[in-house]
Formats: sequence, structure tokens, C-alpha cells
Amino acid sequence: MTWRRFARSCALLVGAVSLAACGLGGDFKGMAVDPPREMPTFAFTRADGSTFTTSAEPGRPMVLFFGYTHCPDVCPTTLADWKRVRATLGDKAKAVRFVFVTVDPDRDTPAVAERYARMYDASFEGVSGNAGTTSRMMDAFGVAAAREPGTNATGYLVSHSSQVFLVDSHGKLVALYPFGSGWDALAADLERLL
Amino acid sequence: MTSRAVPTLRHIVVAATSIAAALVACTTRSAPPVLRVDIRQSWARIADSGATSGAYMEIDNNDTVPITLIGVVTADAGAAEVHETMQQDGMAHMMPRTALRIPAGDVVKLAPGGLHVMLIDVRRALAVGDSVRLRLKFSDSTSVAVTVPVKTP
Repeated sequence: MTWRRFARSCALLVGAVSLAACGLGGDFKGMAVDPPREMPTFAFTRADGSTFTTSAEPGRPMVLFFGYTHCPDVCPTTLADWKRVRATLGDKAKAVRFVFVTVDPDRDTPAVAERYARMYDASFEGVSGNAGTTSRMMDAFGVAAAREPGTNATGYLVSHSSQVFLVDSHGKLVALYPFGSGWDALAADLERLL
Repeated sequence: MTSRAVPTLRHIVVAATSIAAALVACTTRSAPPVLRVDIRQSWARIADSGATSGAYMEIDNNDTVPITLIGVVTADAGAAEVHETMQQDGMAHMMPRTALRIPAGDVVKLAPGGLHVMLIDVRRALAVGDSVRLRLKFSDSTSVAVTVPVKTP
């Protein structure tokens, strides 16, 4: 990932956060995106060859996070929070699509991303796209990521945007949840959407 | 003329029993030994074999001098490193911490979203109920072994 791309992503991120900040409060417990932003559709090939798309599905909101499987802290914390959200929602949770998107497709194959997400909950989707898909999706969501030097043991580390995104069943980005803001806000907002 | 309470045999027996019980209590109820470095509340995350896990704990320095954690060794992973997650402008960064100072009489908490032990290339799949053995190494050449349970994340 080049510095130019990193800088561009940072600018997008700042834009996204600013946009969200405008809608703080309102009907959402998270940072509302006001007006909601229509998101493009992205397609991923799963390890078994089937296709997963982010296209809107009636009655099925989508929760997304961008991370990488070598991440020992923020990514698993987020997935563990999603597990709590699912438990809180009970049967209603079946309608929610929880999607973990790797920003490190060079190391995270579709099979690795899928296993990583499903380890936390069998219903979680873990996807890895090619470089083009990953880049376009990150741009659309204002997500930034950059490789940073690690040790011989860790290999490179990846700094990445750490917020969770909520897309409603019409395919519109409606709220963001900064890392550490509490899973109960996401649970409450999903409850409202379902 | 005022009456004066005279201890009966019953009073004497009760007093003697109480004193004896107190003496027994003093000799048998010694406080648990205070460890110089106490590792508490430790837990590790589930992980696939060959993948990355994270371990968390509280490191309690009961000594009168500071201690510095300089590394973690384990046979349960290819490597273990102390890292710290930092949030800046909505981005999560991870920084290696090769010297983590714990002041005298203080406690440092390794917790999600902050300090953690990164377990790289775990030797086997870690599921809830498993455990990993870690040895924490300090700058004064001492070390502390801890068995860390894998818990529901």
C-alpha cells in the first residue's frame, strides 16, 4: 500500500467521520450518517467458489468491519462484541449479516478470512477480495489501512480503521461505531432496524 | 453495701475456651504469602492452529522497586511479544513494547484495546477450556510462569 493511497484513505476517513459527526445523536446510538449514504455493491468469492455480495436484502441490515486475521486485539475484540450483539438480539439476529472484510488480502485468503470470522460465530461472514475490490470497498467506506514494520515473528503489521459500519436493508450506510464505543449501541440500533 | 459479681465456673470455662480459640486462630490463620510479582485475571483468545492469539492479564508488582517486563516466552506459539494498541484518528495502530515498566506497588493491566501479549503462530488450535503456558521475563533476570486459560472472547 503506497503512502499516496494511505493519505487518500486518511482523507476519506476524515470525511466519513466528519459526515457522521454531523449526525451525532438523532435516532441512532452510534454516530449517525445523515443523510444516509447509498453504498455500492461488492462481490467476493468464498473459498468454496460461491459468491457473497453486499447487495441490499429486504429486512436484512448489514454490519461490517475491516481488519486482518493476524490482528490479535482490535479485530477479535470487535468480533467478540458482535457475538454479544447476536446474543442480545436473540432470534432477530438471524436477519443481520455480520461481515468481516480483510484489508490484508495478500495474507488472508478467502478460506483464512472465512475461518477467522466463523470461529467467533458460524453465521459471521469473513471475506477476502482481490486488490481491486478491496481498494474500492475501502474507498467507499472511507477506510484506511497501512502496512507497518513488525518483527521477524509477526511479519508486517497493519494499521487500519477500527470503526464498525451499519448498512440498513436498503443498502444505505446509516451509522458508525468507533472502536471502544460499546457493543450495546450497535445492538440497540439493530433492534430498531429489525 | 454493694454486691460484687463473682465469676462462676461457667464464666471461667467460656473465657478459657474463647482465649484458646483465639490462640488457635492466631497460629493457624496465617495470611497467604504475597508474591513479589502476581499475575491475575489472565486469559487468552481462541485461535486456529498457526494463527494469532492474544493474552491479557494483570501484572501486580508487590516489590518495593519497579520491575520491567522485557519479554514473554512460550512453547505454545512460534513467538510471543508484548504489544500495545493505540487509537489515533479512528485508526488502530499496534506498537511493540519491549520494556514495560511496572512501578513499585503498582499494577499494570493488559486488556482488550490496549496492552496485550501477541501470540504468533500458535502451535495448536486454542479453544475455550484450553490453556497456554507463558513465562514472563523481567529485566532483573527473574521470570514468572503463568498458565493462561483460553476463555470465551
